[in-house]
Amino acid sequence: MKKLALASLAGLIAISVIGCSKAPQEPVETTTATETVKETETKKDAVASTGVTIEFLYNLNGESVSDAIQDVCKQFTEETGIGVEAVMPGSNFSDIMKTRMASNQLPDAWTTHGWAVARYAEYLSPLNDFEFASHISSSIKEQITDGEGNLYTLPIDMDLTGMIYNENVLEEAGVNVDDIKTWADFEAACEKIKAAGLTPIQLGGKDSYTMGNMMDFVAPTLITNEDEANQTALLDGSFDWSKWNTVVNQIDSWRQKGYFNTDAVTADFMTGIKALAADKAAFMFTAASGITETYVQNQDTKMGFMPLPAREEGLKQSLMTGEHFAVGMSKTTKHPEEVKQFMEFLAREDISSYLATKCGMPSGLDNVISDTGRLAPYYDKYANDSSILNIPYFDRKYLPSGMWNDLCVTGAAIVSGQADSLTVAVDQMKTSYEEKKAQE
Amino acid sequence: MKIQKKSVINLFYIPAVILFLVFVIYPFIQGIRLSFTNWNGYSQTMKFVGIKNYTRLFQDANVKTALVNTLIYGVMSTVIQNILGLGYALFLNTKFKGRSIVRTIIYMPVMIAPLIMGYIMYFFFQYDGGAVNDILIALHMEPVDLLVHSGTAIRIIVLVNSLQFVGVAMVIYLAGLQNVPNMYYEAAMIDGATFWERFKHITIPLLMPAISSSTILNLIGGLKLFDLVMALTSGGPGFSTHSLSTLVTNQYFSAQSAGYASAIGIFTFLLIMIISNVVMGYFDKKEVDV
Repeated sequence: MKKLALASLAGLIAISVIGCSKAPQEPVETTTATETVKETETKKDAVASTGVTIEFLYNLNGESVSDAIQDVCKQFTEETGIGVEAVMPGSNFSDIMKTRMASNQLPDAWTTHGWAVARYAEYLSPLNDFEFASHISSSIKEQITDGEGNLYTLPIDMDLTGMIYNENVLEEAGVNVDDIKTWADFEAACEKIKAAGLTPIQLGGKDSYTMGNMMDFVAPTLITNEDEANQTALLDGSFDWSKWNTVVNQIDSWRQKGYFNTDAVTADFMTGIKALAADKAAFMFTAASGITETYVQNQDTKMGFMPLPAREEGLKQSLMTGEHFAVGMSKTTKHPEEVKQFMEFLAREDISSYLATKCGMPSGLDNVISDTGRLAPYYDKYANDSSILNIPYFDRKYLPSGMWNDLCVTGAAIVSGQADSLTVAVDQMKTSYEEKKAQE
Repeated sequence: MKIQKKSVINLFYIPAVILFLVFVIYPFIQGIRLSFTNWNGYSQTMKFVGIKNYTRLFQDANVKTALVNTLIYGVMSTVIQNILGLGYALFLNTKFKGRSIVRTIIYMPVMIAPLIMGYIMYFFFQYDGGAVNDILIALHMEPVDLLVHSGTAIRIIVLVNSLQFVGVAMVIYLAGLQNVPNMYYEAAMIDGATFWERFKHITIPLLMPAISSSTILNLIGGLKLFDLVMALTSGGPGFSTHSLSTLVTNQYFSAQSAGYASAIGIFTFLLIMIISNVVMGYFDKKEVDV
């Protein structure tokens, strides 16, 4: 009797465990009953499952972009029979990837978000043998290729970033964006905007990356643009960090002149986007994708982006280019052939064009056309303008990996007006740079 | 027979010991090992750097700021929670209508995750659209950015943490008060002792075990403060409101200095252990037998 009771109990527990457990999901293969019927009717040529599922992690969290990625993965499964577990793990994608790298348990493919060479190269398979390798846009090729010529990521689109601005605000303040060629012009524009009772520069320091963006956008214009000596010194470790004073002084002078929003340190990024959408603020240091966010808040506003001003007359303005939606392939994947097929599929003209269009960014492949929507006039205006420099993101090119944090923290300290923040900022950049350089 | 029974009982705590070894002891030993390396937190390679991370720790101005903040969070939260908690307990130890409802209301914030509480409070104190500024504007006053200055931000963090967890102190003191025999108060009243004299000479000495538990619990909680800081200020502006716990995360993930972060973590562990033991030793001496 006792044994029977124990057996029944064990059975009950086993059933509960089975009931509670859940088979690993393959999101891209999950469909509702109606969808399945519809697909069976329309896609009778779907290939039988190979039984292989690859894992793809991505960091693009916009709803429409994420849906497009899921659709594309679903299509890949239908065409090849290879399942794709496409997962967007949330806003701390970078930390999750670091944990996966630390445990050497990497996904089969993942988006490299600007760090294909500096951070992920150790774990990525070079992609030089793929057909798409010969079609990488010249604007981004250098940033995703290492010194030995190894290409590490497939750039489905690319960033082309300057400052975003609200055209209505500039109009109200009597500012013509085409007149802003240098930082002195920019400050003259800020004075007019301030006089009109509006906020010249919007920051959202609670999301510390907005501070990092500002430092990252301003620094190259003052330090590295058209200055080969500084470029070389930053790369070989001999940079004289007293020169960083020009960057911190510039930011501090904007603070003293009252160009930032009052809650620049404590507001978040979305507060800034809302201020721009409400025609209350003029400029923001963020990628052009910020414009899309602004239009989500207010379709009727008028947004644009402009190149970064030069430090003085006679020097060129600049736009930053870098990875946006770029996919790398793990060199330790257990399914190399399947992942290769997936990479080739993503690079296919129709697929790559669809994804780049969804992101509203120019394509990273020269044989693919992307419809950039309301941003198209700006890309047309600046993309092929030889008077504008195309530069890499400052931190990705010139600073050792891990210094983004220093840009964010020192930027916030300066904007908050803390005592000694300028000296501390320069010291911290110098110390961190030397420590991280020594680790390389 | 007895020995056999004991060994069977011993088997029951093996799972707990295994879990403790796997999830506490092993990571702790790994943490000590990492603190002597220059690991960046993700690479497959790392270099042994001796005590470099520890010497750096004592020269780092940001660690100094975080240490001072940690002590403020720990000590000030403990003081406020204990004074308020004892006050609430004394008040709620008397019989009145609705006593249970008041107890529940005071204890309720404890059930909210600190991170959620932090975000609720952020929406309360934020400059643009925050409840405090809405009230100030309604009173025709200028709005203020309360979180921009480290001094104010630290006070707000202490206050929010104290008010959220005052319920824990209250419950401990209530339990303690219910164990104080009434005969001492009756005897003191016959002798003509005032309320303050009864409180000082009966309540406090006999509450010493409760004071000890509450102080230690609140102190450790305050010294480990993490979620609230992350939600309210993320440690900023600059490093000015970081606690040692948030600094560990910042250094591990953002600064990619996992070795250094481990050294700060070990230092934090030792600091909390030493302070807790000193405080516990102090209260042990003060306890009296009933």
